[in-house]
Amino acid sequence: MSDLDRQIEQLKRCEPLKESEVKALCLKAMEILVEESNVQRVDAPVTICGDIHGQFYDMKELFKVGGDCPKTNYLFLGDFVDRGFYSVETFLLLLALKVRYPDRITLIRGNHESRQITQVYGFYDECLRKYGSVNVWRYCTDIFDYLSLSALIENKIFCVHGGLSPSINTLDQIRTIDRKQEVPHDGAMCDLMWSDPEDIVDGWGLSPRGAGFLFGGTVVTTFNHANNIDYICRAHQLVMEGYKWMFNSQIVTVWSAPNYCYRCGNVAAILELDENLNKQFRVFDAAPQESRGAPAKKPPPDYFL
Amino acid sequence: MGAPEKLPMENTSLQRVKVYRLNDDGKWDDQGTGHVTVDYLERSEELGLFVVDEEDNETLLMHRISSDDIYRKQEDTIISWRDPEYSTELALSFQEPTGCSYIWDQIGSVQRNLNFNTLSNDSYHSVSSELRELPVVELSTLPLILKTVVESGIADQMRITELILHDQDFFRKLMEVFRVCEDLENVDGLHVIFKIVRGIILLNSPQIFEKIFGDEFIMDIIGSLEYDPDIPHVQHHRSFLKEHVVFKEAIPIKDPVVLSKIHQTYRVGYLKDVILPRALDDATIANLNSIIHSNNAIVVSLLKDDSTFIQELFARLRSSTTSMESKKNLILFLHEFCSLSKSLQMVQQHRLYRDLVNEGMFGIIGDVLQNQDKKLVLIGTDILILFLNQDPNLLRSYVTRQEGIPLLGLLVKGMITDFGDDMHCQFLEILRNLLDSYASGSQRETIIEIFYEKHLDQLIEVITSSCSPTSVGQSVCEYKDSNGSADMIPTKPEILLNICELLCFCVLHHPYRIKCNFLLNDVIHKVLSLTRRREKYLVVAAVRFLRTLISRSDEHLMNHIARNNLLKPIIEAFVSNGNRYNLLNSAVLELFEYIRTENLKILLKYLVDTFWNQLVKFESLPAIHFLKVKYDQSMENSEMKSPINVLESRIRIDERALEKEEEDYFNEDSDEEDSASVSVSLSPQRAISVCFIQWVCSIIKPKIWWTG
Repeated sequence: MSDLDRQIEQLKRCEPLKESEVKALCLKAMEILVEESNVQRVDAPVTICGDIHGQFYDMKELFKVGGDCPKTNYLFLGDFVDRGFYSVETFLLLLALKVRYPDRITLIRGNHESRQITQVYGFYDECLRKYGSVNVWRYCTDIFDYLSLSALIENKIFCVHGGLSPSINTLDQIRTIDRKQEVPHDGAMCDLMWSDPEDIVDGWGLSPRGAGFLFGGTVVTTFNHANNIDYICRAHQLVMEGYKWMFNSQIVTVWSAPNYCYRCGNVAAILELDENLNKQFRVFDAAPQESRGAPAKKPPPDYFL
Repeated sequence: MGAPEKLPMENTSLQRVKVYRLNDDGKWDDQGTGHVTVDYLERSEELGLFVVDEEDNETLLMHRISSDDIYRKQEDTIISWRDPEYSTELALSFQEPTGCSYIWDQIGSVQRNLNFNTLSNDSYHSVSSELRELPVVELSTLPLILKTVVESGIADQMRITELILHDQDFFRKLMEVFRVCEDLENVDGLHVIFKIVRGIILLNSPQIFEKIFGDEFIMDIIGSLEYDPDIPHVQHHRSFLKEHVVFKEAIPIKDPVVLSKIHQTYRVGYLKDVILPRALDDATIANLNSIIHSNNAIVVSLLKDDSTFIQELFARLRSSTTSMESKKNLILFLHEFCSLSKSLQMVQQHRLYRDLVNEGMFGIIGDVLQNQDKKLVLIGTDILILFLNQDPNLLRSYVTRQEGIPLLGLLVKGMITDFGDDMHCQFLEILRNLLDSYASGSQRETIIEIFYEKHLDQLIEVITSSCSPTSVGQSVCEYKDSNGSADMIPTKPEILLNICELLCFCVLHHPYRIKCNFLLNDVIHKVLSLTRRREKYLVVAAVRFLRTLISRSDEHLMNHIARNNLLKPIIEAFVSNGNRYNLLNSAVLELFEYIRTENLKILLKYLVDTFWNQLVKFESLPAIHFLKVKYDQSMENSEMKSPINVLESRIRIDERALEKEEEDYFNEDSDEEDSASVSVSLSPQRAISVCFIQWVCSIIKPKIWWTG
């Protein structure tokens, strides 16, 4: 068994890697991710997953429902970290799978894959707590900068974490973004990760989130038509039923964190597309209480104070 | 979705209410104004609403919260109900809606508990309410004790806690029974005791914790937790704690209080993280953490006030007779000491750090950074980061002093040292902090000065020596360390990445300084040799470096780039990347887009003039196509109005002469004006105009005009 396979097994038990292993993993991941496009091409069949937010045990439920990687081809729409208790294990497992099976799992960036956001919503503190220093956080957030911004399935389904941007009419325009940077406060890259579709908005509206925009049905129609795509698949917003179509099936939200923040009471979903792009949503619940809970930590072997 | 926020109760305006009562005439009587709380009714476990008059502290209202649905919330600030005891309608009118909704939620949760208790455990509830004392602790009563401890409702838990604390001998007897069970190998008994102890810990009472974590009981308590009925094998926590964990004393600690706290802290942490992590709820974890936190504060505080202790510590660190091994321990101790001092109050921590600096802390770290043991070096940097987080000026002012200058060099050296598997991003972090131009303090300029004078070349040298001189497109760019021939020094790519990142940081923070330094010594060209590295992320990093330079919109810099054909390596990397749509492709296209949209004429002209033959095959990409369109437009425009245009083609002819002038120019002005704020004798506008004149001169008749 290779080191990497062993590390994947370890992460599947929700045990974090050593710092040195994280470093080696991140360097390998960087080499792979740097070759990806801002609009990463993905072949069907593929299973699309929304926000995970560090809910490791619920992600294991996801894999139970959707099948293991690499048997199932996966596309994750970002927001791997923050909020939940296991951002470190969650992100490292996904990253290890990416390095092990680069063609069978695609990771794109969400608004939480950011230095600024993770310092507020938990990932930073979790790294500090689990490793005693923020080095792992630094390495991981450096990797975030390399993550692709969006994906395109069989030229027909555009996938992105948040939504559309008024500065992007065609997929070509995404190409000229130098994505290797912290998520900016405005502009195309920011909007892709922060925007939301909104029923009551005609055209573009201000987002209450303070970044990105709200966009209405006509914007989606125009975009889909201009780029010859069937529909947009995105995540970013909690939907109680796990998924939600809008604007006459031109855009769908997929949400994959059941019982979000361990208290929202929602179910989660993933979207399975077969080779002919036929859709099947698989809805799943949070992992049962007894299967979660922190595994015992290794005690430090010695102490001065 | 945010967490439900806790109401800061010290903010009394949130609790401020008026109490109203419906009188017989159907009018609301104002009963007075006061502060509302939810609290236990006297001599009972029942919860009630209390309003205490804000002026005379008299109780205005005392109301037992009912499990019946009698409460109404009106508008955002009124809660009313028909009170069975007063037999009338009562109402609380809140000053603030937040206060109202807080109390409303509290009533709701009290009701839920009441209903839950009646539903789930009706018969037991009534029994335990009459519970006046705990059964005597004996083997035979263990099941009853367990039932009492773990099957009680929330209100009963308080009573049980009280009874346990009241019974002086409870734990002594329980632990006696435990030892008997262990001797007799009575597994069932041990399992029950495990559950009792776990249940008692989950009562989450600070007073109980104080008792069971004291020296007298803690090892037995931990012993009893070795018999988890859900785990097939008996755990060996006590033997681990007694025989395997090493308590290291870098300097012997004499104070028994300190010693006892230190051991207690470790054991409580062990109990929390290793023994019971799955069983503990958030509230209990929080209480255990606060025990650890306050113990740390006590320990650090007692040690820091023990002046002989600190002096002995530093004396040993400095002494030449101290063995390597014990020096290492002293440093590890120091690291723990500094990092636990975060439990102190801000002011105290700051004072402690300042005292440590006065004792010679940074000198010690300087030695540590030169140690052969790389792990120890990294501990040294971790200590520095603790200091930087507390007060960056302590380190900043140190490195500007004579004795501190070498430390800066050690940090630069550390950044370019191969640490193998270990992460060493701390060096970059520390250097960035020291070189931050937004920092306050008089040392800032001095540090920047020293850095450019002494260390910039060192960093550039690492790049040039690790990038082969062969041109891009050939695959021999990677280093080979097996054959001993004149090959590249095998610098780890992450080191090069860090250097490039630091240089980008410098471009943004020291715009004037980099002009002097980068332009004179061919630095940009050298950094761009990174495009010849095999690792694509390094090629992209080089593109980013140039892009950062261009973002300064400094005409002089742009002229320098054009004149020295500095886009050449970038274009070559782009072309050899072919049609692959990857990060390199996007980064270069973004660079072109920037030149086009910002209308950087110098670069636009240079780029298209020089590279169009190579770029034309990518014209199907909009970014390339529009670059040419823009170029054509600007050529048309400039042909109409600019006579200089004709002369422009001569730029490159007189490159050498111009370089010389550039040098003179910078030698004149390269003084200390290097700061993000433009408090500069040579304003950017003037710099540009000087530059422009210079440029025009050079085109027309360089030498004579300029020397004249």
